[in-house]
Amino acid sequence: MLQKQREASSFEIEMELDKLSSLPGHVIDQILSQLPIKDAVRTSVLSRKWRYRWAKIPHLVFDNQCVPVPSQDQTSGKNKLIHIIDHVLLLHNGPIQKFKLSHRDLIGISDVDRWILYLSRSTIKEFVLEIWKGQRYKLPSCLFSFENLIHLELFNCLLKPPSTFKGFRSLKSLDLQHVTLAQDAFENLISSCPLLEKLTLMNFDGFTHLKIDSPNLQFFDIGGVFEYISFENTFQLTLVSVGLYANRSDGDMFLEAIKWHRFFTNLPHVRRLEIQCHFLKYLATGGAPRMLPKPCSDLNYLSMRINFNDWEENSAALCILSSSPNLLELELLARAEEHNAVEKVTYSWVEDHYKCHLEHLRLVKIAGISGIRSELDFIRFLLLYSPLLERMTIKPASLDGGWDLMKELLRFRRASVQAEIVYLDP
Amino acid sequence: MSEADMAVIKPELMKSYIWLQTADGLIQQVEQEVAMFCPMIYQEVIQKGMGSSKNYAISLPQRVNPAMLSLVLDYCRFHQVPGHSNKERKSFDEKFIRMDTKRLCELTSAADSLQLKPLVDLTSRALARIIEGKTPEEIREIFHLPDDLTEEEKLEPLKNTTDDPRIRLLNRLYAKKRKELKEREKLKNAGTGEEHVDDRSVDDLLSFINGDSKMTKASKNKKKNRRRKEKTALLNESVETDKMETNGLDFVGHDVEHGIDCQLSPSESSKFQDVEEDFFARKVEFDDVDMDDEIDPALKEKIDREVEDFARRLKIDWPERMQEILSFGQERRPVQVSLNGSGSLRK
Repeated sequence: MLQKQREASSFEIEMELDKLSSLPGHVIDQILSQLPIKDAVRTSVLSRKWRYRWAKIPHLVFDNQCVPVPSQDQTSGKNKLIHIIDHVLLLHNGPIQKFKLSHRDLIGISDVDRWILYLSRSTIKEFVLEIWKGQRYKLPSCLFSFENLIHLELFNCLLKPPSTFKGFRSLKSLDLQHVTLAQDAFENLISSCPLLEKLTLMNFDGFTHLKIDSPNLQFFDIGGVFEYISFENTFQLTLVSVGLYANRSDGDMFLEAIKWHRFFTNLPHVRRLEIQCHFLKYLATGGAPRMLPKPCSDLNYLSMRINFNDWEENSAALCILSSSPNLLELELLARAEEHNAVEKVTYSWVEDHYKCHLEHLRLVKIAGISGIRSELDFIRFLLLYSPLLERMTIKPASLDGGWDLMKELLRFRRASVQAEIVYLDP
Repeated sequence: MSEADMAVIKPELMKSYIWLQTADGLIQQVEQEVAMFCPMIYQEVIQKGMGSSKNYAISLPQRVNPAMLSLVLDYCRFHQVPGHSNKERKSFDEKFIRMDTKRLCELTSAADSLQLKPLVDLTSRALARIIEGKTPEEIREIFHLPDDLTEEEKLEPLKNTTDDPRIRLLNRLYAKKRKELKEREKLKNAGTGEEHVDDRSVDDLLSFINGDSKMTKASKNKKKNRRRKEKTALLNESVETDKMETNGLDFVGHDVEHGIDCQLSPSESSKFQDVEEDFFARKVEFDDVDMDDEIDPALKEKIDREVEDFARRLKIDWPERMQEILSFGQERRPVQVSLNGSGSLRK
């Protein structure tokens, strides 16, 4: 009898001391979700209360860290991974909100179809699938029935939405890298996700015309090969980064002419713009206007990869600079491959641009230059017309001609008394 | 000194204060901008107009005791100042969460009831870091969790998907141990058939109390097994435990498992078979062996030796563990009959 009492009271004391198990459910979910899945499942041996607690966690992440598989034999590693995921999904009890699968052993298996089918029956909100190696993984059509999806991230996949696909009504963030998608499927996808705020596209194929019609889009990041890009109805877009990996042009003179219009007109509120790889060349081919019809008054940060040796690109860059009165930070990266070309730009255009005052420009970074005339002219231009400049950082591509470059830089006049020119070693 | 006097003496501190009352009745005055960093307090002030005087002090939720309130306010006092850089904030956070786990849990609870999400994020991350990578025993000790799972439940066979011969051997040993336990239970319960039934219903009761429907199923299975012949019983049980591998995979299963994990090196190569195949092969093997086994001192010694040798190789404190398990049947025999019929081993 006494034993019983003693045990009962020790039980109470333990209850008192055990503060962890009495935390609210969503807090325990949060703690377990921050553990690798392995540790989370192991909590089931702690005590009675914890036996099935892990099965309720809403986030399931299977990646190389959570499921370390000794990579001796690919097949065995793969099998083990499949086994683990099957088990966890089967034992899981509760809504799954986030599912991430990104493991290097996950190649050439069709089990992913089965898991996606399982997930389509729950109210999943975030789905990340990364197929590290092998050919594009064809996604099953049940993926397109994830109605509650808010974030979708795919790597190395092939998307073929069924004809009944009406879009992801709640999707806010879409990240597609190394994907294959047909042109009409792409357009349909973008336009049928009305709440889309963030779009990332890298290394895509199957579509080359990018007509971005997305009223809530705020973030747009693209890197790939395309022929045509236009924004429609994208008035909320504040961050745009466009990288054209290989130069392709429409070939159509009319479309060439309105390129600028197509791109900039519907970006009135863009705050951060990155023009990477060959995109400036794409914009520049066929000539650039002196100034954009409407200034980019919200533009604070501009980064351009430019071939200083190309007159058209220079004028394209100047066009954008002239239309960005509130620019705070500028980054110019010289495009490497055209460095050895003979200097083409000899005409000094600096004095022509007296109208371009970069009133608020504070920080300039220039990298990859080699000291040719056009580069120096550009630097001179920037120094002359930026009264509030605080720092300019210059990093040449190589050590050759470094001294000459510095000698030239020393001579340049500066509009800003506080301007600091920092020369970095390559 | 009244409130008014305080205001006169320090005119430069023209801050407004609000009144907070913790569950124990203690009322205190806190700078308004600091306290309002907590959404719950913010709502009370803005929406209900509370906190302006001692009589209208804001009643804080029960989970917020004065000590925790003071910690929460320290956090708020630092973070509500806009001037700090991210680096400074991170550095403050790192130092802030350095406290014993009991207080960390209480702080998490308090922050949650005040709806202060950044602090909940910080503390839950800290708790996750404490749990990560530790053995179940360590975790139980740190957080004072009751060790109320039966040895049965803990001794679930490890999922041997790495085909490590050591794991296989260990599994076999565990299985033998389990069998021993069952033998002892049978011997003990030979004369007390009714008590036996009582035990199980208590089991069910406990599981029911803990709201664990799966457990009741497990105990029912146990019931079923005991009525069959030994061999088939064991085979079924191993199958059952495999099926109801509620503890998951090679992640879980036994306290000692973590020790083994540490020892596994990728260079340990052995023939790779299909997972299921191996498991069944093991079971058959095990059954054959057990047909001849009898629990006698010689065998016990043999097992002891095997296990010790094994443990030495794995560098685990096995002898002590084994002592406990073996003494389970002997010392605790009278205790079995009591309420704690589930036979859990209290450390």
